[in-house]
Amino acid sequence: MSRRLYGVDGYLGSYATLGLLLIAGLLFFVAAFSANRLLRPARPAEPPGKRATYECGLDPVGGGWAQAQIRYYVYAYLYVLFAVESVFLFPWAVVYAQPGFGTTTVVEMAIFVAVLALGILYAWRKRVLRWT
Amino acid sequence: MVQSVDHVALLPAYLAAGTAVLVFLVDLLVARRGAVLAAAALGVLATAAGAFWLRRQPDRQTFCVAGDACSYVVTDRAALLAVLFALLTLGVLAFSAPLLRSRAVPAGEYCFLLAASMTGGVVLGFAGDLITLIVALETLTVPLYILVGLRRQALQSAEGAVTFFVVSVVATAVALLGAALLYALTGAVHLGRLAAALTADNDRLRSLPLTATAVVLVLVGLAFKVAAVPLHAWAPAAYDGAPVPVAAYLSTASKLGGVVAILYVAVGALRPWLDVAGPALALLAVLTMTVGNLMALRQRRMVRLLAWSSVAQAGYILAPLGAFAVSPGRTTDALTVAVAATVAYTVFYVVLELGAFGAVVALRPADADGGSLTDYRGAAYRSPWVAGAFVLALVGLAGLPPGLAGLFAKVVVVRSLLGGGAGWLAVAVALNAVIGLAYYVRASVALFGPPGPAGRARVAWPVAAALGAVTLVALVVGFAPQLILDAAAR
Repeated sequence: MSRRLYGVDGYLGSYATLGLLLIAGLLFFVAAFSANRLLRPARPAEPPGKRATYECGLDPVGGGWAQAQIRYYVYAYLYVLFAVESVFLFPWAVVYAQPGFGTTTVVEMAIFVAVLALGILYAWRKRVLRWT
Repeated sequence: MVQSVDHVALLPAYLAAGTAVLVFLVDLLVARRGAVLAAAALGVLATAAGAFWLRRQPDRQTFCVAGDACSYVVTDRAALLAVLFALLTLGVLAFSAPLLRSRAVPAGEYCFLLAASMTGGVVLGFAGDLITLIVALETLTVPLYILVGLRRQALQSAEGAVTFFVVSVVATAVALLGAALLYALTGAVHLGRLAAALTADNDRLRSLPLTATAVVLVLVGLAFKVAAVPLHAWAPAAYDGAPVPVAAYLSTASKLGGVVAILYVAVGALRPWLDVAGPALALLAVLTMTVGNLMALRQRRMVRLLAWSSVAQAGYILAPLGAFAVSPGRTTDALTVAVAATVAYTVFYVVLELGAFGAVVALRPADADGGSLTDYRGAAYRSPWVAGAFVLALVGLAGLPPGLAGLFAKVVVVRSLLGGGAGWLAVAVALNAVIGLAYYVRASVALFGPPGPAGRARVAWPVAAALGAVTLVALVVGFAPQLILDAAAR
């Protein structure tokens, strides 16, 4: 009866635990920070360097808008290429040897992989695989 | 089990995708601009020929489940659409020749992306379910994000691409949400089954507000592709930032794709619910044409003017469908008239718009953008033939007599509106046509201004040939509009 009352047995019931955890986490967070605020001494000071960026103990160099290396995006793309491929390869690998499938299935996957491999060919011909 | 696939039915799709792969390989292995362009043109022509051949065959279908519901349906109309998409791509390729020669954009990537986009358009007409339809539409759109941003030196190009990308992604999410809700409500994704489910389960679905939400979400998401009003603001930025041939492709092939998708969904799947979708469509149509025309009045740049005018034209295209939906009775005959009017207007519009953009390409330096209206001063004296084609296209878009195609298109739309009992919509169309005159005439007059400092520029032969062909088609359908009207009514 009480299970029904709290709606824990329905389709959304499995999310109830997650919801409880979120609420508990939120309460803990609020309680910890409130306790901290109430208990700590408050003597704000402004020593030099207090508001400087902390860089592992070193003095900060340059501005906040540091440039990232844009050439890494190529590797991100190549990774996506393989990631997408494997998403489709795994379910295929489970079934292709079963009766009812066969040469057609293998050829279809070969075409799919060949089309994706064009991406590697592109990267190779455009010399993005060479580290400069 | 392995699904049996009718590969003959898939021929145009194979040819279109093969074109993309061929162009890609030629670029990587031969790496010469001429070879890439030739391969692309050859592949596109083969796609058109394949689709045309398929049209002569008896109707086919493939990817079917449980007998009657198929994801890929070959009909006469679908094959014609594939031919039209391929020919539009061919025209845009021809307009791109000087741009590619100027090295402003990389030739291989450009042609590959254009062919990939064409693949989406070719498949779109054959779509038999919502998933195929939306995936085809996305295949049509996704390469365009990059194509719009391909003028790498220009900041507007990047701005246009980002605007286009963000709005497009939101619109796709909205359409997908609508499609998912429709599936949740009816358990069907095939257009025919959706219509059947919506009719059979009418009482229950009518009582659910979710159904109306789903219908409106799908249509609003698809309306983005034709740049109808709530989702129109990307068009001027994207058109103006893009290389001019890409803007031509956006305003013709991409817009045609949107119209096809809306027609398929509204007529094929949501017909029992057109009384809900209809007032929304009618309101969208009026808002779209009014906003487009009023904003076009203020433009100083040629491509932006054409972009806002194409927003306005989307309103005329949507008007007959909206009119059908608010008409009493909603008989099958009235629907046929409304669809025929929409299709006929779209074809007229696409031809004239391609002509206008072709003239812009011919009048401007190879690597330049559309420029402002004052950059066109004296064009009528420097290159009278090109200016003549431009004026013909603009006047046709305005719907004035010499460009008869545009006039007949407007007549068809207004007649279908009056026949559908939507007099107020017809009045709105007429008022908007009058507003439209102002800026179309302004753009035409700019060509006859005192000559500027620019010298006479040579027009590359592919551009000249394509512009000539498009203008010829515009003249032919202008004098024999019955050709299009008959084809559209079938």
